[in-house]
Amino acid sequence: MADNIVIVKNLTKKYGSKKVVDGISFSVRRGEIFGILGPNGAGKTTTLEMIEAIRKIDGGSASINHIDVSEHPQKIRYIIGVQPQSPAFQDKTKLKEIIELFSAAYGEKVNPTEMLKSVNLEEKANEYVENLSGGQRQRLSIAASLVHNPKVFFMDEPTTGLDPQARRNLWDLVKSIQKKGITVILTTHYLEEAEMLCDRVAIMDQGKIIALDSPHNLIKELLGRGFKKERHVEQADLEDVFIDLTGKKLRD
Amino acid sequence: MKKSLFTIATFARLNAKRFFRDKLAIFFTIVFPLMFLFVFGALTKNNGTVSFNVALINQSNSSFAQHFVEQAKSSKILKVDKMTTSLDQAKEKMKRSQLDATIVLPKGFGDIAQGVDYPAGQADVYYNENNKQGAQTLALILQQQFDVINAQHVKFVTPLSVDTKSTQSPSLNRFDYTFSGLLGFSILGLGVFGPVNVFPELKKQGILRRFHTTPLRVWQYFVANVISQGFVGLFAIAALFISSVTFFHLHMKGSYITFILFILLSIFTIYGIGLALGGWAKNERQAAPLSNLVTFPMLFLSGTFFPRYLMPEWLQTISGYLPLTPVVDGIRLIVTEGKGLFDILPQMGLLLGWSAIIYIIAFRVFSWE
Repeated sequence: MADNIVIVKNLTKKYGSKKVVDGISFSVRRGEIFGILGPNGAGKTTTLEMIEAIRKIDGGSASINHIDVSEHPQKIRYIIGVQPQSPAFQDKTKLKEIIELFSAAYGEKVNPTEMLKSVNLEEKANEYVENLSGGQRQRLSIAASLVHNPKVFFMDEPTTGLDPQARRNLWDLVKSIQKKGITVILTTHYLEEAEMLCDRVAIMDQGKIIALDSPHNLIKELLGRGFKKERHVEQADLEDVFIDLTGKKLRD
Repeated sequence: MKKSLFTIATFARLNAKRFFRDKLAIFFTIVFPLMFLFVFGALTKNNGTVSFNVALINQSNSSFAQHFVEQAKSSKILKVDKMTTSLDQAKEKMKRSQLDATIVLPKGFGDIAQGVDYPAGQADVYYNENNKQGAQTLALILQQQFDVINAQHVKFVTPLSVDTKSTQSPSLNRFDYTFSGLLGFSILGLGVFGPVNVFPELKKQGILRRFHTTPLRVWQYFVANVISQGFVGLFAIAALFISSVTFFHLHMKGSYITFILFILLSIFTIYGIGLALGGWAKNERQAAPLSNLVTFPMLFLSGTFFPRYLMPEWLQTISGYLPLTPVVDGIRLIVTEGKGLFDILPQMGLLLGWSAIIYIIAFRVFSWE
C-alpha cells in the first residue's frame, strides 16, 4: 500500500443548502504531483482551502501527515505551503523582504538570496514587488511558500494568466519542487498542464470527484470504451477525457 | 516565545520601513497635520487683542478728518474695510456680519469753528441690532480716543479714573488648545483613517488570507502593527511638536518621558479603533460609513478643533468619555501645564479602559479575508 500523506474522507462544504463540495474522498501519495481538474465552480478551490485549514470543514475529515486538519489547524500550517490563485504582496516591499516576512511568519530566519536563487530571482532581490511581471510574481510567491520547507505544497491555478514561456518555466519549477521530496497538490484548467505535470489527477464536477487516476490510465480507459477522435483516429488526449466527463456546456 | 518575538519584530520592522518609502502615507500622516498646524497656528497668532471690522465713511473735507482716517487705517484695533465707500454698501455688509460697525464722519466733522482754535464734530457709529455689544465697545473706544484729543485742546480735570493691571499669571492661550487638539487630530488620523483604508485593501488583494495560511497569529500581527504604528506616530508627533516650538513659541512645561509615554498609550488606544474597524470590514464600502460614524463625534467633540469649554455643560460631560478626549486633555496637561504622570491618572485610566474594550472587540471581529 502506498504511503498516503494527504487523506480526505467524505469532505463536505455547504453554503446554505447547496453542497459546494459533496462528500469527496481521495488520498495523495507522498512525493507525487496531484492535480485537481474541473470547470469553474466545481469546488476545486473550496476543497483546497478546507485542506489548507483556512475554510471550515462542514462534514467529513482531512488529514495531512496523520494530523487532523480541523483539530490541529496550527500544526497543519507549519507543514504546508500555499500558493494562492493570484499572489499579491504589499507594495513598497523588496523581494528579499517578502522572503524575510514569510520566514518570520514561521518564526524562522532564512537566507533570502538563496531562496530567491531557487526561483531565478536573485538579481531582483532589492527591487520592489510592484515592478515584477506576472510570472516573476508567481515565482516569488512560490519561494515565499517554501521558506519553511513544507511537506505538502498547494498551488491554486498556478499558471492562469501566464504566457506559454512563463508556464513552461513554472512547470520546470514544480518538477524541481517535487524532486526535493515535496508533495504537490495543484488545481488547473489547463489539461495539457495536468497531463505534463501530474502523476495522478482527480476530475471534479459539481462538488464530486468523477474520476481519479493517472492521466495515462484515464486516456487509456476512455479509448478502451471505444472512443475515437473525429479527425485523428488513433489519438486522444486528456482534454477528451475531461470534456467527455464534464460535458461541453459553457459555465462561467 | 522567542520565535514569537522574532516574528513580531520582523513584521514591525518591515511595516515601518514600508511606511517611510510610501510618499502618500508620509503626506497624510506627517505633512497633512503639519499643514493644519500652520493654518490654525496663523489663525490664533494675534490672540489677546480685540479688533473690529469696520467701514469708515468720511464725508468731511477737514484735515482733522483726513488725519483721523489715516490713523484709523493703521490702527490695530480697527480693521478698516477699504472696499466700502458708501453707507448703503456698509449696511449691506453689516447685515451679512461681514462688518461689525460703520463709522461715519459727517460733513463738517473736524472743521474749526470761528472763534475757537480746535476742531469739533460728532462721529456716528452705525450698527446692526445683532451686533449691539460690539458697536457699543467700539463707540467706547472711539470716545476714549477723542477724550485724549480733547484733552490736548481743552484743559479739564479727571478726578476719577480706571486703570487695568495684569495678574501676571500666564493663562492658557489659544495656541495651547490648538496644539493639543491638533495632536489629537493627528493621532486620530494615523490611528483610524490609516488602518481603515489599508486593511480592507489588503483583504481584497488576498494578502491577509495568505498570512492566514502561515502559522502567523492574529495577536502577533496586531502587536507588530501596533509597534510600527507607534513608531511612525512618534515621528508625526515629533514633527508637529518641533514646528510648534519653532514657529509658534510653544513652551514645553512637562517632562519629555511622560509626554512620550502618554503619546504611545494614546496611539495604542486610538489605533485599536482602526484595527477593529479595518479588521472587521470585508471591503472599503463596509469600512467607510462605520469609521465616519465612530470618528466624527471624536473629531468635533473631543476638543480637536474647538476647546470643549465652549460647549454646553451636558455635552462636555458626554464628550469627556470619548476615547480621544483624554488624549487631547492629557497632552495639554503635560505640555502646557507641566503635569506629571500622577496628575494625569484619570486620563490614563480612561484610555486603558477604552483599550481593553476596543482590543477585545478588535480580536473578536478580525477576519483575514
